[in-house]
Amino acid sequence: MKRQGIIIGVLQVVTLVAFFMLWEWAAVARAVDPIFIGQPTRIFDFLYESIFVTGSLFKDTAWTLGETAVAFVLGSATGIAFGLLFVVWPPVERFFNPLFAGLNALPRIALAPLFLLWFGLGAPSKIALGFSLTFFIVLSSTVAGARSVDPDWLILSRMLGASRAAMFWKVTLVSAVPTIFSGLRLGLIYALLGVIGGEIIAGRHGLGQQLTYLAGTFNTNGVFAVLFFLSILGVTLTWVMGGIENYLLRWR
Amino acid sequence: MSTITVRNVTHVFPGGVLAVSDATIEIRAGEFVSIVGPSGCGKTTVLNLVAGLVDLQQGKIDVAGKPPRAGRGDVAYMLARDCLFPWRTALANVMLGGEYRGVPKSDREARARLFLNKVGLSGFEHSYPKALSHGMRQRVALARTFSLHSPVLLMDEPFGALDAQTKLQLEDVLLDLWTAEQRTVAFITHDLNEAVTLSDRVIVMSARPGRILADIPIDLPRPRSVRALQKDARYHEIYAEVWSWLEQSLLQAHMI
Repeated sequence: MKRQGIIIGVLQVVTLVAFFMLWEWAAVARAVDPIFIGQPTRIFDFLYESIFVTGSLFKDTAWTLGETAVAFVLGSATGIAFGLLFVVWPPVERFFNPLFAGLNALPRIALAPLFLLWFGLGAPSKIALGFSLTFFIVLSSTVAGARSVDPDWLILSRMLGASRAAMFWKVTLVSAVPTIFSGLRLGLIYALLGVIGGEIIAGRHGLGQQLTYLAGTFNTNGVFAVLFFLSILGVTLTWVMGGIENYLLRWR
Repeated sequence: MSTITVRNVTHVFPGGVLAVSDATIEIRAGEFVSIVGPSGCGKTTVLNLVAGLVDLQQGKIDVAGKPPRAGRGDVAYMLARDCLFPWRTALANVMLGGEYRGVPKSDREARARLFLNKVGLSGFEHSYPKALSHGMRQRVALARTFSLHSPVLLMDEPFGALDAQTKLQLEDVLLDLWTAEQRTVAFITHDLNEAVTLSDRVIVMSARPGRILADIPIDLPRPRSVRALQKDARYHEIYAEVWSWLEQSLLQAHMI
């Protein structure tokens, strides 16, 4: 098993190196025009310069991450609150269901122009877009988690003398945490997606706005550099969430 | 005076299925009584009526002089599954009842540790259920049930899901705990060996609709040992008697 892992690791590195070498060759030999595909060494130069020399990537990252964090926290908190409300008072769910179903069915990016109109070019319109994605994901995972509580746990708690409030907080909610966490992990990535999408459409700061600017000036190396950076950012965010989840749910 | 009185109780399930018919059971204070019967005969329904988990339709039930109500401090309930909360350690699981009932933390922790020790799990206080075997988990559930001060214990096939060997060990643990604590126990089981080994009396119910067919006193001396009883002639005589009643019930229901 360990040997298999090493072989897969070596194969992954070799494939990646071969891919970049082929890419570099295609760009240098002009097999494909670098204006379309960029050039790996130049992409690396761009990344190095914008991280270690000018630091411009950090500034944009700070904006994007800040907006993502606000969208995620607000979207998750509201999603969890509504989800729990739905479970405790099902008539509330029946009331909101058609409205939420309609809103959730909308392609969220289509709301971006409206958010720009309402909240302006700054951070609030990006946060609103991220929020609109995170909210529904966390809402549905909260409802699913809270509804899947083991009925025997509730019977036992009832027999042990638990109040309705204690059963809710100590059994229903706690047992829903793993499912809520799956929603949170997905919600975080979608908050980032919403924010970047908003920045791409119109904005003054952030990695999305940077992407639009670089693409508009035909700086393909810069576009690829930002895309690599975004990919690393996404993986890091998922990894951090996974770490928090593993710590909090260490009983699993 | 009886601690648990079930008098002329009849229960009909939604859809009109008659589950229990005119059942009368008396369990005196400190008595260990098992209720056996074919699958689906209404044993668990009777227990749930006594527990207050199911509303009484017809007849009368008294538990320690009061009508049944789920969550009473003087009644503890144990299910077939251990029902441990996976996010709580063994100690925290045992402390759960005390927590719900507002027992001060130091008291409930001391009691939880004491009963974990009694069921042979000292050293496992901080283990999560995922790290415990089925038998160990059921020991934790036993400790959780006994650590409450409830004088009445209602047990619904608590060892039904265990393998034969673990079951014998757990029966010994239960016998030790009950001998030391002398609680009033209503014990549902489909295992006649278990019923005869543990009980002062065995009540046999008929196939659905569940009626009381026999009330058999178990005059085996206490303290008992599960292994020693296997070689006891009287034990086998009583077992045969209980089985003959159960066999009669199964024949009537065309189940054998």
